[in-house]
Amino acid sequence: MAGLEIISDQGYRIDGRRSSELRKVCARMGVFTQADGSAYIEQGNTKALATVYGPHEVRKGRGKIQHDRAVVNCQFSMATFSTGERKSRPKGDRRSQEMSMHLRQTFEAVIVTELFPRSQIDIYVQILQADGGNYCACVNAATLAVIDAGIPMKDYVCACTAGFIQDSPLLDISYVEESAGAPFLTVAMMPKSEQIVLLEMNSRLHADNMEKVLDLATQGCKDVFAVLDRHVRDHVSESHALMTAS
Amino acid sequence: MIFCSDTPHLPEVAVTILSTNMAAPRVCVPGERLFSTADCEAGPGTYVHHGYIYSCLAGYMHKRKTEGKELSIVEVIRQKEDAVPRIGSIVTAKVTSVSGRMCKCAITCVERTTLREPFRGLIRKEDVRATEKDRVEMYKCFRPGDIVLARVLSLGDANCYLLSTAENELGVVLALSEAGAQMVPVSWCDMQCPKTGSKEFRKVAKVQLQQE
Repeated sequence: MAGLEIISDQGYRIDGRRSSELRKVCARMGVFTQADGSAYIEQGNTKALATVYGPHEVRKGRGKIQHDRAVVNCQFSMATFSTGERKSRPKGDRRSQEMSMHLRQTFEAVIVTELFPRSQIDIYVQILQADGGNYCACVNAATLAVIDAGIPMKDYVCACTAGFIQDSPLLDISYVEESAGAPFLTVAMMPKSEQIVLLEMNSRLHADNMEKVLDLATQGCKDVFAVLDRHVRDHVSESHALMTAS
Repeated sequence: MIFCSDTPHLPEVAVTILSTNMAAPRVCVPGERLFSTADCEAGPGTYVHHGYIYSCLAGYMHKRKTEGKELSIVEVIRQKEDAVPRIGSIVTAKVTSVSGRMCKCAITCVERTTLREPFRGLIRKEDVRATEKDRVEMYKCFRPGDIVLARVLSLGDANCYLLSTAENELGVVLALSEAGAQMVPVSWCDMQCPKTGSKEFRKVAKVQLQQE
């Protein structure tokens, strides 16, 4: 990426952020009435939509039934218009399948599945616009949707990326920064207990720098949590106000 | 009918919270630490981790005192409540098909909550009534379309919940006659059509009004 400065001399990134700043997060809960829970999130230009159905009976593939807990079924898809170049198939390719698997692992860890034996919980996430941090946007949207559906969770799961570009750690990297080829971490964690649910690194990073990047990603997750928490509290008191008014 | 109201039902506690003009109830989010287990007991909507009670839902915290217990129970209540049939709970079901050995139905309500989608249920011949079990004739107990109150016996196999109507209060509560009119119960095993006066056999439930 010659000629393209990821960080300027003044310490600003291409989109004008400082190295430890998140992109603007906008969220809405309960966007669909049909689904049991739904949420929409924008993290900068990355936009994701999540819907949750269930817990309901296990459909298709009775072999999946777990007699002591619920099974979590996740499906990740990307709208054909979400990327710069039009995608030929929105779901089912190798990367989407991997993403679905990661989402499933993440949410199996935080949902209290033991409460719903022999049931299934469906989480469908779609990326409407991709600008880096797709997994993070999906996790954050799905967390809101699960909360909206009233499915018991041990804690929120918040996800954030952190990269290491030009010898400095960068928080919440965008598509341009992602494609610069530098290593970056994707972290999903439970912000209150600080337990890491998922950690993924896409290329090699020197062990000395690992801690710095991970600390930054952890801080990012907590920042995301603060935003999501505010949205959830607003949503709960808003629906409370609606109910008392009616 | 108490059990199958069409409006989504609010748990009573939520109603009391919402109707009384107390100080604004505390909003909880998943993972929020509420109390130590030494002070309170964990109720629905919470979980215990390392000696503390945490919320696992987004909703309102409520402390409930029960008799005979020293500690009050903490629970987190949402406006929308969803239910899953549990062993021993009373369900409202609609009969979908009847055969000589069993009767299939679609569970539409659990206790006082209306389900958003039905669960499959099954009443076996031997679970229809408590007495003279071996002389039960399925066709004289249920017809497709009847609304039945039943108790969940077991979670059954992978396909169905096993239901039982072997109690006086359980059985058919609403049924249409051949003529299409809603029948009135006349005895434990008969219902009469007000239009034609003909009697049809049913396993009639003695519906008990619940005191509010």
